[in-house]
Amino acid sequence: MEAFIQEWLPIIGQSVIETFQMVIISLFFAILIGVPLGILVVLTRPGQALANRFIYQLLNLFINVVRSIPFIILLFFILPFTKFLVGTTIGVQGVIVPLVIYTAPYIARLLETSLLEVDNGIIEAYKAMGIKTRQIIWNVMLREARPSIILGLTIATVSLIGATAMAGLVGAGGLGDLAYRFGHLRYEVDVMYATVFILIILVQGIQSLGNRLAARLKKD
Amino acid sequence: MIKLENITKVFPSKNGDVTAVNNVNLHVKKGEIHGVIGYSGAGKSTLIRLVNLLEKPTNGSVSINGTELTSLPPEKLRKTRQKVGMIFQHFNLLKTATVYDNIATPLKLLGYDKQEVKKRVEKYLKIVDLAEKQNSYPSQLSGGQKQRVAIARALSQEPEILLSDEATSALDPETTNSILDLLLKINEDLGITILLITHEMNVIQKICDYVYVLEKGEVIEQSSSIELFTNPRKHTTKKFLDTISQRKLSASLISQLKLNGTVTRLTFIGENTGQPLLSQVSQKFNVEPNILTANIMELKNGIVGNLVIHLVGEPEQINASLQFLNEQGVATEEVEGE
Repeated sequence: MEAFIQEWLPIIGQSVIETFQMVIISLFFAILIGVPLGILVVLTRPGQALANRFIYQLLNLFINVVRSIPFIILLFFILPFTKFLVGTTIGVQGVIVPLVIYTAPYIARLLETSLLEVDNGIIEAYKAMGIKTRQIIWNVMLREARPSIILGLTIATVSLIGATAMAGLVGAGGLGDLAYRFGHLRYEVDVMYATVFILIILVQGIQSLGNRLAARLKKD
Repeated sequence: MIKLENITKVFPSKNGDVTAVNNVNLHVKKGEIHGVIGYSGAGKSTLIRLVNLLEKPTNGSVSINGTELTSLPPEKLRKTRQKVGMIFQHFNLLKTATVYDNIATPLKLLGYDKQEVKKRVEKYLKIVDLAEKQNSYPSQLSGGQKQRVAIARALSQEPEILLSDEATSALDPETTNSILDLLLKINEDLGITILLITHEMNVIQKICDYVYVLEKGEVIEQSSSIELFTNPRKHTTKKFLDTISQRKLSASLISQLKLNGTVTRLTFIGENTGQPLLSQVSQKFNVEPNILTANIMELKNGIVGNLVIHLVGEPEQINASLQFLNEQGVATEEVEGE
């Protein structure tokens, strides 16, 4: 056991750091793109404040198309785009772009669902009080949807961790890659178990953190 | 104060256009409480949403304080809406905010400074009698308390008009009464003009000066509430009145009673109960009046009594006594066995 830890701890530690890097950076950009996208999808819906059939359907199509592509395909499919954007297609840097493109539409969809759950009556009440649409989005829709948005982001984060496992294919490392290379290709079964165990703890931790945060924000 | 002229609202739908509100005229004077009553689907909710343009009318004009709203640019419309408070059947409070924040948030968004916000929240929470609940969340309040918060929120913007969209429909009778008392108080103490919609006749009875009966998007009858309660003309209106007073007798009972007389409804305004009149009738004419049902309704602006009597006697004596009653200012109406 001790020998195992001594031998593998630096490698596993390095992988954990890589996974965290990938998840945090891509999550950041995915939220930056996905949240406005989700808000826009809701607002351009028929009957909403900025109702616009054309933009609404275009956004929907875009989200659906991206969401139809499995991550492993997406990773290679957009190689030229990745190269253009960050100058490289390998390493953590190279995998951030596909991870963001993979996650942002997912977040947009989850956010759309959360926002649509907000009672239309309260939005109408604020409209009747003469409050600006922009303020309603921030102070009513996003505010009321917070617990549900947190849960959505938790789901997105977990699926993002899953996607990072494939990052090894472009040499970005991470826990998934470690389990695959050592555990599967080199039959170091212990390493596989260890990484899977760490992944379970990680996902479990993120999920309960999300649950707890959502519960605290939810007041009904 | 509020004036709707020839207002029509048509909703396009797959199965043809639906006219929710058809050519409605409505005029609420400053300081009055007007009520629109109608069954579900009569177009009440659409009608009240047309007043602050949450729904845009297909035709007609809406003016508040002489300002025509339909042609206002969005910015001016927002300013006008700030002077028109609105409360709802389902309260429409922020679930994730405390009572205090529910009232303070709109004020902050409308640009009032912190001190003014605090002053107003405290003032209006006191008026609705909820000062001690300011740190509670809506889920911890009863329906009546939630509606009080919503009323405080509406009042905190110091509107001249309050629109009430079925504000008591989700509440039990006792709570309904306390909310109606509160609305009356607001009307009297703060001079706020109120337009409400409801399907409950007791709401009209208790607080309205003037009533519109809405059916299939059209106003089929309108009058002061005293007039409506004493002299309802349309079938729907009578049906609404039946919901609060025991006006109905079974058809078989009526036909049986009619074998030796007539069954008549007497309606009178004011406190003079029918009693002395009836004894006069029996002395003056050769008839015997028999009270079948009796009730007295307190309206906002007076008292209306309602008696259904069985008059036994010869037809000419009965006619003479009915005429006498009419002369005394009592409305008479023969009750039909269906």
